[in-house]
Amino acid sequence: MNRTTGRMIALRSFALVLVLSASQTWGEDAKTAFLTMAPIDQYLMPDRNAEIALARSAAPESISRDAEVWVLGRHGYETAVKGKNGFVCIVERSWMAPFDDPEFLNPDQRLPLCLNPPAARSHLPLTFKMTALALAGLSGTQMFDGIKAAFDKKELPMPEAGSVCYMMSKQQYFGRKYGNADPHLMFWVPKTDDTFWGAGLPGSPVYVHQYSPEPITEFIISVAKWSDGTDAPTD
Amino acid sequence: MNQVIVKAVGLGTLAVMVVLGAWRQPHAADAKTPYPSMAPLDQYLIADRDVEIALARSAAPESISRDAEVMVLGRHGYETAVKGKNGFVCVVERSWTAGIDDPDFWNPKLRGAICFNAPAARSYLPLTIKKTEFVLAGQSRVKMFESLKDAFDRKELPALEPGSMSYMLSKQAYLSDADGHWHPHLMFFVPQTEAAAWGANFPGSPILASVNPEDRMTVFLVPVAKWSDGTADAN
Repeated sequence: MNRTTGRMIALRSFALVLVLSASQTWGEDAKTAFLTMAPIDQYLMPDRNAEIALARSAAPESISRDAEVWVLGRHGYETAVKGKNGFVCIVERSWMAPFDDPEFLNPDQRLPLCLNPPAARSHLPLTFKMTALALAGLSGTQMFDGIKAAFDKKELPMPEAGSVCYMMSKQQYFGRKYGNADPHLMFWVPKTDDTFWGAGLPGSPVYVHQYSPEPITEFIISVAKWSDGTDAPTD
Repeated sequence: MNQVIVKAVGLGTLAVMVVLGAWRQPHAADAKTPYPSMAPLDQYLIADRDVEIALARSAAPESISRDAEVMVLGRHGYETAVKGKNGFVCVVERSWTAGIDDPDFWNPKLRGAICFNAPAARSYLPLTIKKTEFVLAGQSRVKMFESLKDAFDRKELPALEPGSMSYMLSKQAYLSDADGHWHPHLMFFVPQTEAAAWGANFPGSPILASVNPEDRMTVFLVPVAKWSDGTADAN
């Protein structure tokens, strides 16, 4: 990962680093390929155990084995495994991407993450809300408005202090453009400047994503290994 | 770094990881520290002020540290050497920011280059300045921690602000005799909490933690790939 030329592309609750190069192109067809919802079955995982395993792969086994696990059903997320350490693991779908992301409704995306207790309490309501809006068949514009209204009316919580999330699954898939990206940690804070953590500056190991319309800032730090202990690719 | 056998040893801001192998006993058993008491003050000072400024700045990428305030250690405490304009403050901490049982507590060779973000500069740095004040007044290690407790009880030290973090990416730092400059890392300061709250210190976790009751805080550490000069961490 070339951090001098790298740019962080964040997908609401998931983020990745990509290297910009002259040779890297993004097909014009793909820019408009995922603007409408595909049939719901394409977003679901038919094997519940596979989804549980994928969710757990977001964090080292020492953390995820005792975590609560949620899986996506036809009517939203539901608890599949009760936890006992306060962490929650879940596989988010593409509608957690920014609204203007070309792969906003790419049904292939699988984004496993494990959230610590403050993050589980304060971020998952956003995931559930977005999912409800997506499953209701709303357009991107309607979803945007719905999320904005929810925050305006304080129906969705702000990030709690110490909200941390693991995204270390080698099986994570961000879509055609970014593949499985790299393992990383994410930290959510109430909306603040990029420079609050020195993020996004040349040489900084901290990347940042400013949510919209949510009043949330996400800081991202890449880590060296996948959850299975294998090394992540460098540069 | 085998994180299965790594233990976070609380060294205050000089939070260093010590690999506990058969070759090394835990710190608590290190009865024969070569640094039983404070050395002559000159050994802790850096004679060349510009060298100390440069070392302090090396804690973060130049994009952050060039606009940071820099404080240097004088005979009577830390003093501002360079005014900043981005809210960050860079300093070189000395050994007495280590934990009470640390064998390097009086090691005059320690040089903990660190750049604090604005919340940490406001809410953590006063702790370093206060410890330094006690030490330069001739207090013993035990007395210093007693004075620190009194200072906390009298609310002379601020509560940690949310989002307090720091950079320790200096290849020129010296954090302990055992580990030298260790690894480049970020640190996050939070009111005392369990390491498990962030999933720290678990096998395979990329987050390490040091719970420091005397400082009334927990320090979380995330190693990163590169030093502030852009070179890769060899280990």
